[in-house]
Amino acid sequence: MSSAANLKRWPGWVLLFLVVACFLAYGTAKDAGPLTPEQRVEEITKHIACPVCDGETVYESANPASAAIRAEVKAQVAAGLRSDDEIVAYVVQQFGEQTQLLPKASGFDALVWMLPAAALVCAGVGLFFAFRRWKRNADAIPDDDDRAMVEKALAAEVNLDGS
Amino acid sequence: MLAEGVNGLFGHSALIIGLAASVFGAGALATATLLKDQRLVRAVQGYVWVALIGAVLAVVVMERALITRDWSIAYVQKVGSPDTPPLFNFTALWSALEGSILLWLLLLAMYTSIVARRYKARMADPLVAWALVTMLVVTAFFFFLALGPTDAFQAGGVPDFAKCCKGPNPLLQNHILVLFHPPILYLGYVGFTVPFAFAIGALVTGRVGEGWLVETRRWALFAWGFLTVGIVLGSWWSYEVLGWGGVWAWDPVENASFLPWLTGTAYIHSVMVQERRGMLRVWNLSLLVATFSLTILGTFLTRSGVVNSVHAFSDSTIGPYLLGAFGVIVAVSLGLIAWRGDRLRSPGAIDSPISREGAFLANNVLFTLFAFVVLLGTVFPLIVEAKDNRQIAVGSPFFDTMAAPIGIVLLFLMAVAPVLPWRKASTELLRTRLFWPAWCGAGALVLAVLLGATGLQPLLAFTFAGFAGGSAMRQLVLATRRQGYRGLLGRTNGGMVVHLGVILIAVGLTASNSYTRAGEFTMNKGDTVQFAGHSFQLNDVVDFTAPNRVGIKALVAIDGGQAYAPAISKYTAQGMDVGTPSVKTGLRYDIYLTLENGSKPSTGLAKVKIFIKPLIVWIWVGGLLCGFGTLLAAFPGKHRRRPTDPVSAPVPLEETVDV
Repeated sequence: MSSAANLKRWPGWVLLFLVVACFLAYGTAKDAGPLTPEQRVEEITKHIACPVCDGETVYESANPASAAIRAEVKAQVAAGLRSDDEIVAYVVQQFGEQTQLLPKASGFDALVWMLPAAALVCAGVGLFFAFRRWKRNADAIPDDDDRAMVEKALAAEVNLDGS
Repeated sequence: MLAEGVNGLFGHSALIIGLAASVFGAGALATATLLKDQRLVRAVQGYVWVALIGAVLAVVVMERALITRDWSIAYVQKVGSPDTPPLFNFTALWSALEGSILLWLLLLAMYTSIVARRYKARMADPLVAWALVTMLVVTAFFFFLALGPTDAFQAGGVPDFAKCCKGPNPLLQNHILVLFHPPILYLGYVGFTVPFAFAIGALVTGRVGEGWLVETRRWALFAWGFLTVGIVLGSWWSYEVLGWGGVWAWDPVENASFLPWLTGTAYIHSVMVQERRGMLRVWNLSLLVATFSLTILGTFLTRSGVVNSVHAFSDSTIGPYLLGAFGVIVAVSLGLIAWRGDRLRSPGAIDSPISREGAFLANNVLFTLFAFVVLLGTVFPLIVEAKDNRQIAVGSPFFDTMAAPIGIVLLFLMAVAPVLPWRKASTELLRTRLFWPAWCGAGALVLAVLLGATGLQPLLAFTFAGFAGGSAMRQLVLATRRQGYRGLLGRTNGGMVVHLGVILIAVGLTASNSYTRAGEFTMNKGDTVQFAGHSFQLNDVVDFTAPNRVGIKALVAIDGGQAYAPAISKYTAQGMDVGTPSVKTGLRYDIYLTLENGSKPSTGLAKVKIFIKPLIVWIWVGGLLCGFGTLLAAFPGKHRRRPTDPVSAPVPLEETVDV
């Protein structure tokens, strides 16, 4: 048991972190290779909304309008002149703003990105102050009034239960 | 033509009786409680039963009208057809808005009567009474909806068969899941009315202590279980029917079901902090109010036609009423919380962020943030349209971007939280307890990389999923070693089974989102193509006819074995093309075939799209495990707290025996 306990001290944990770091780095690096044209088309069409259907992406949609956009994207990728983002921008320009699935990060539309971030920050700050207050209150020792209140509440609960 | 009008008449009468019963029931119970009139309190049981009978009758009459094809009713003309297969004719009840409201009403009336029956002996307790009043008021609202804005029994006039009576939407008549998914999902939606009602009861009576929580905990748990299983079944339906190869598209209707799930999940975790430590009272009340009001808001968003969706099988004028109801619920609840604010102040303190309650707090922040993101993304196009009068779309790339980091952090919390003690944890304790779970995470990572997984986000997800799985297994192993099979029962242990289910779902979603491969092939009869290590031979392309549709299907033999038959059907009545995928399910990956437009039996030409989708089946297994775990969690565990036990009594630091 003691050897197992020792294992759980630093050697085991250091080994664990080494293994995780190595494999994460390897797996992430392997991903960075160039994408095939098909994968690029797939990735791009997943970021474009079908202009006439209800909220489907061009990638999913079987609609002729989507097929046209898919063909356009394929041609653009084959030409190899534009990056993925530029192709999306080009399609949005050609087929209208409602084909843009990923909201812009500028102007009013940026709010959809900023509000969640702001909410997270607010929650963090709120929690920080809450913990500070709790820490301060934690030292409070119950006085006789508090005890009386608890007694009374308990008595009431018991009565209620009995009735 | 005796039948003409009879169903409509019976249906309307049933609804009117139900409405009257719930209105009078609510009024009588409120009056009786205010006047402390016990005789009147007892009479309320009768009203509840009459309301239930009204709802049951309404549904039975509508089913009868559908089955006997009573064209005198407008709704039957809308969703019925002379040749819909019996099963889908039965499910046609909930294939459009009016009938869905009837189904909702039926389940709500059932929940109400179960509450009334279960707490019959305690109806004199004002808290229980006000809870029942709340339920009756909600029931009355839905009876009102069913009678007025979404009148299912409206007379239909003479049917013009050239235009009407085409049956339900084709998407709703080609898979058996249509029978299970909506009722189970609704059981979840409607079920959250019960804890909400008790929250209102607690606020009205001012008894915001912990007693009512014990009463509603199990109700919330059941509602949560139904909602979870309902959502998973919905994804399954989407996967098997819609033919785009995915399970979740962040579509508004999906989001509407996901929102209450998120706040409900936050609630069933944070309620434990209140039970144990008497804290977070306002927060828990708010979560219950949020969960219930989000079901109403979700119904508004998807049923009023303000947002478009592939799943929205209706639109109507119901919008203002639902939006009004949402406003009333929020206003009344916030008003009550403000009124009772003084009693809600929690007495205790959370000593350390590294504790069980600290983890629950973090869990709640993340779930609430998640819900906020989903709600914002869903309504943002509406906001932009109202402000600038331009159309934008907020689609799956946005939600995926946001959900991935939140999900990964949630998985991490899921790994750490179950081993944390209440009050405060030491480094020593964490180091010991987390050791083997952390190695499970490392093992998952190694396995994933060896199998060829790449990318930082998916790999992090797999690592933390393994870590979380290890923590859950640790708890289950320790508990079963001590208590035998009873170690699987109770909230803590059942909860861990649910965790395992959620982890499977997370892994399945990550893998299928990240590593799906697709290829489109134009094949002539007899051709064989190789894709992803499998051979696909096109045996034949054939026409087929069924009673309500005609279509073509391709027979594709995978690896020279059984032939799979993706199809495109044209539903003759609606003139709508529906693709039906064919799936070869496997433990490692599914092979998902769809037939694309442009295939012709006459020339023997077929355009087939092949998806290789990893680990999909584990999403369904995970959903099953979630449902099963919820059942286990509902059984009382070994240590049952008496409701009268003071909740802030010192808690033993060591909850579980260390390995």
